[in-house]
Amino acid sequence: MSERSLTRRSVLAAGSTAALAATAGCVGEGAVLGMGDGSPNPTAAVLEDRSGTFALTGTAKYRTTKLAIEEINRDGGILGEELEVFAPDPQSDNMRYQDLARHAIYQEDADVLWAGYSSATREAIRPLINDHEQLYFYTTQYEGGVCDKTVFPLGATARQQLGAVVPHMIEEYGDEIYTVAADYNFGQRSGEWVKIIAEEHGAEVVGEEYIPLEESQFGSTINNIQAAEPDFVMSMLVGQDHSAFYEQRLASGLTDVPIGTSTNMAQEREHLRIDPPALEDVYAGVNYMEELPTDRNEAFVERYHERWDDAEYINQEAQNNYFSVYLYKEAVERAGTFDQAAVIEALESGLEVEAPEGDVTLDPATHHMNHNMRIAHADENHEISFDEPRTIEPVFLQEVGCDLTERAEQTQYEPDALPEVA
Amino acid sequence: MTGAGLLNFGFEFVEIFAFIVLATVGLAVIFGMMGIINLAHGEFILVGAYATTFTFAAGLPLPLAMLTGVVLTAVYGLVLERLIVRHLYGRLLDSMVVTWGISLVMIQLTRIVFGNTAPGIGIPFGQLPIVDGPVYYLVLAAVAVGVLGGLYALFMWTEFGIRARATMQDEATARSMGVDTDRMYMSTFAVGSGLAGLAGALYAPVMTVTPEYGTGFLVEAFVAVVVGGASVLVGTVLASGLLGTVNAAVTNVAGTFMGQVAMLIAAIVAIRLMPDGITGVLADWRENRGESQ
Amino acid sequence: MGNSSAFWLGLAVAVAVLAALPALFGLYAAEVGAVFLAYALLGMSLAFIWGYCGILSFGQVAFFGVAGYAFGIIAINATTLTGLTLALLASIAVSTAFAAALGYFMFYGGVRDVYVTILTLVVALVLYTFMGQTAGGEWSVGDARLGGFNGMSGVPDLAVGIGSTGVEIGLLGHYYVTLGALVVTYLGLRALVNSQFGYAMIATREDEDRTAMFGYDTTFIKLVVFTIGGAIAGLGGVLFTTQNNYVDPSVFGITAAALPVVWASVGGRTSLIGTVGAALAIQFVDYRLALSGSEWALVVIGSLLVFVVLVMPEGIAPRLHEYVLESREDADSSPVPPDPPAAAEEVSD
Repeated sequence: MSERSLTRRSVLAAGSTAALAATAGCVGEGAVLGMGDGSPNPTAAVLEDRSGTFALTGTAKYRTTKLAIEEINRDGGILGEELEVFAPDPQSDNMRYQDLARHAIYQEDADVLWAGYSSATREAIRPLINDHEQLYFYTTQYEGGVCDKTVFPLGATARQQLGAVVPHMIEEYGDEIYTVAADYNFGQRSGEWVKIIAEEHGAEVVGEEYIPLEESQFGSTINNIQAAEPDFVMSMLVGQDHSAFYEQRLASGLTDVPIGTSTNMAQEREHLRIDPPALEDVYAGVNYMEELPTDRNEAFVERYHERWDDAEYINQEAQNNYFSVYLYKEAVERAGTFDQAAVIEALESGLEVEAPEGDVTLDPATHHMNHNMRIAHADENHEISFDEPRTIEPVFLQEVGCDLTERAEQTQYEPDALPEVA
Repeated sequence: MTGAGLLNFGFEFVEIFAFIVLATVGLAVIFGMMGIINLAHGEFILVGAYATTFTFAAGLPLPLAMLTGVVLTAVYGLVLERLIVRHLYGRLLDSMVVTWGISLVMIQLTRIVFGNTAPGIGIPFGQLPIVDGPVYYLVLAAVAVGVLGGLYALFMWTEFGIRARATMQDEATARSMGVDTDRMYMSTFAVGSGLAGLAGALYAPVMTVTPEYGTGFLVEAFVAVVVGGASVLVGTVLASGLLGTVNAAVTNVAGTFMGQVAMLIAAIVAIRLMPDGITGVLADWRENRGESQ
Repeated sequence: MGNSSAFWLGLAVAVAVLAALPALFGLYAAEVGAVFLAYALLGMSLAFIWGYCGILSFGQVAFFGVAGYAFGIIAINATTLTGLTLALLASIAVSTAFAAALGYFMFYGGVRDVYVTILTLVVALVLYTFMGQTAGGEWSVGDARLGGFNGMSGVPDLAVGIGSTGVEIGLLGHYYVTLGALVVTYLGLRALVNSQFGYAMIATREDEDRTAMFGYDTTFIKLVVFTIGGAIAGLGGVLFTTQNNYVDPSVFGITAAALPVVWASVGGRTSLIGTVGAALAIQFVDYRLALSGSEWALVVIGSLLVFVVLVMPEGIAPRLHEYVLESREDADSSPVPPDPPAAAEEVSD
């Protein structure tokens, strides 16, 4: 009995399904009922973590973006229109990023997207970006290598940051290096870059360790470093849990070994959160830190803290967010429209913008910035001093032949794509 | 292995052993008494850490701040037990699910109320020669041993302990002999919570205190509880020893990640070979010995 | 939920509504909805093994994720139609085999009850930890990089065919494939639990030793059930991964592992439909809360879980079913004897 009703009813169910599937021909982006085409105003989608693992850095990124947009809107907007903002909190969760990016593209009709702190996030949404050819600014410093038509990675690359700090450390301290890095793509690739740059300067990596992101016990790592007796340590540790390394460094007396880093201090302000002298003799290769003593930067910092009076620190990528909004404005004005393809073309025409870090230009072929790289040094009181800036171009992608003005691609190159590599 | 190498390994083992023991005892007490796996255990640890951190930041000396952490967590556990947990005794799987829900709520509420970071506490005491690790880790190991000793004293030499063990062995009989099992569960849960709070407090200087702080303990804790089995003390000690050894050994050779993986695999194998935990094996062994005599 | 005409009509309507969603709300709904439907498959796999055979597994996500990664590995390396079809079949086969192996390891080793739960959770965590450190270049299978915490991106869309004849399943198609898979699996499971084997499953859940005494090989039953659960979870995993073209170790994490338990607890683990409904509803609410920028999503979900288990431990769907039965009793002239708990699950979904 149940068998028969099973068959009959399921046929009914299947039938109605099929009938409705037939109407699927009427399905389009908006379809029958539609769920809104977003507002008529140009919309910027800003997806930055304000909770979760990357909350420390994400919050500042969100705020500087907001600040820039507000300043621009106050001054008359872009092409006379105000830029609207869609900015929910992805909570450092990559699956959530996918959901929100999808919503931004479909429902909010985002004309431009800023999203993500970690490389993992970027890679999680890149398929979506590629499918819909969405203009996307990725502003965090990262491992480098992304050569993608609609993506503009404006953060400093590992090549640029390490290329600033590693040679300096080799000159100052010696040629035996111990690498400690976060165990995911970014950390791994950065580690490879340290090796490459070391070889270029006649130095050697005597030991490497890759630490999981949630790990906050560095006892054995510190033991290993002390056993290896390197001239200096290169640290590409990332995230809140890894900050514990510096406290444990102090407790173990490892402060006599200097540390070069591309990630610490400028991101999560360890030098302000942890008591001195835990960060003594840490050298960061950065394109920006809040402490930069230029007039332009000091004015920017003041504006920021006025706007957000509970704000804590402007990290490196928050600054990238800030100037990228102005970069976008310039591109739209040069293109004369918000149409994404046209804006991308304008971005590829060679633009310069006045950023707090200094004047920066966008390299058309690689979509990366020619950053002003500096080395920031923390002394035993955690006072920061800088050396002279030098411009470092996105050499790596140039070497592998990434030229998005000639040929549109959607790839990420790795250090082993270099023609001759050790 | 060189002398220094051996010392290093020994120090690492001590460090991991202390961690697993302290992370586990609170959970083991509750599991041993009521057969409940409290999936909100990580969040009790969280309460201890946050209470310690904030009272320390407010000016209390560290030991006192830690004590506050323990007490607050015990009270919190008590409240939770009365309100929710006591409806779940005998419903093992349901209790896991409910405590999981509690854990989700707690983490998020902590985040909403306190934000994503808490003020840091520096590691006290300084460092050791040769192994070059913090002295504090030895202190933690001493506390771990002290806790185990204290629990032993509690269970063996106090009236409460005798009643507790009776309830653990045979609840119905214990009740029929006049033990107020309801009260017993309540106090046990409070003790278990307090111990969890202790773990949170003790490790606050060492690990970054964030709303997800507790999850760093959870894996080791319930793996150790399950491998240990129903006996609180013997199970915890032996399981921590086994898992700690595997973890330390592999970490020494292949890094922290592989150490963690190896420990988890060892746990899987242990659970498979000893479905009732180490204490189950010991109980069988004792039975067999008794039979053959 | 019963076998009444009302039920089947309701089911048909529900399926029709789901099928109409893309027509009503556009491609966006199809993209978002497909993910929820894949989750529903995952939830159903748990309801099947937990509600009907008493196996509470926190590790269904292990099979979900393994199938996803397997598909990614094969599909990235073999992008032809044949290759993609092979990827689909092979990845489900992999998760099924994995479930069979784990089930054998557990059940034939005498592991029971809460230890099964912990063990399955630990398995998921091992995968999480292990996959999280596969970031380097050396962790690649052919062209497919495992990616560690960055995840594996560039997973191709589904396609079925051989040589040059076949169909590539685009965005819209993917939604209907997922919906179809969900409906077919549901009907299949329903038939299974109402069969002799289904009764044996339930008997095993109720009292394993007694059932074994009656001559049933309960260990084998559990193994089969667990394996089927793994296959279904794997199917969900493939559909999930091909929707996002991406998979990362978070599918093995503690939160992910607990979600199916949440869905099954709230929806009713003895109700396949209830679990599906709970999965869709809870994930949808979670999605809307995330969009509105609310931080209260997890608080709401966690509280819901606590509330439901305390107040209606059997879940929402069975409780509703009870009400319906009771009201029908009043209306019916033929007396229906009060259902003993075991019998109430006989005609079930």
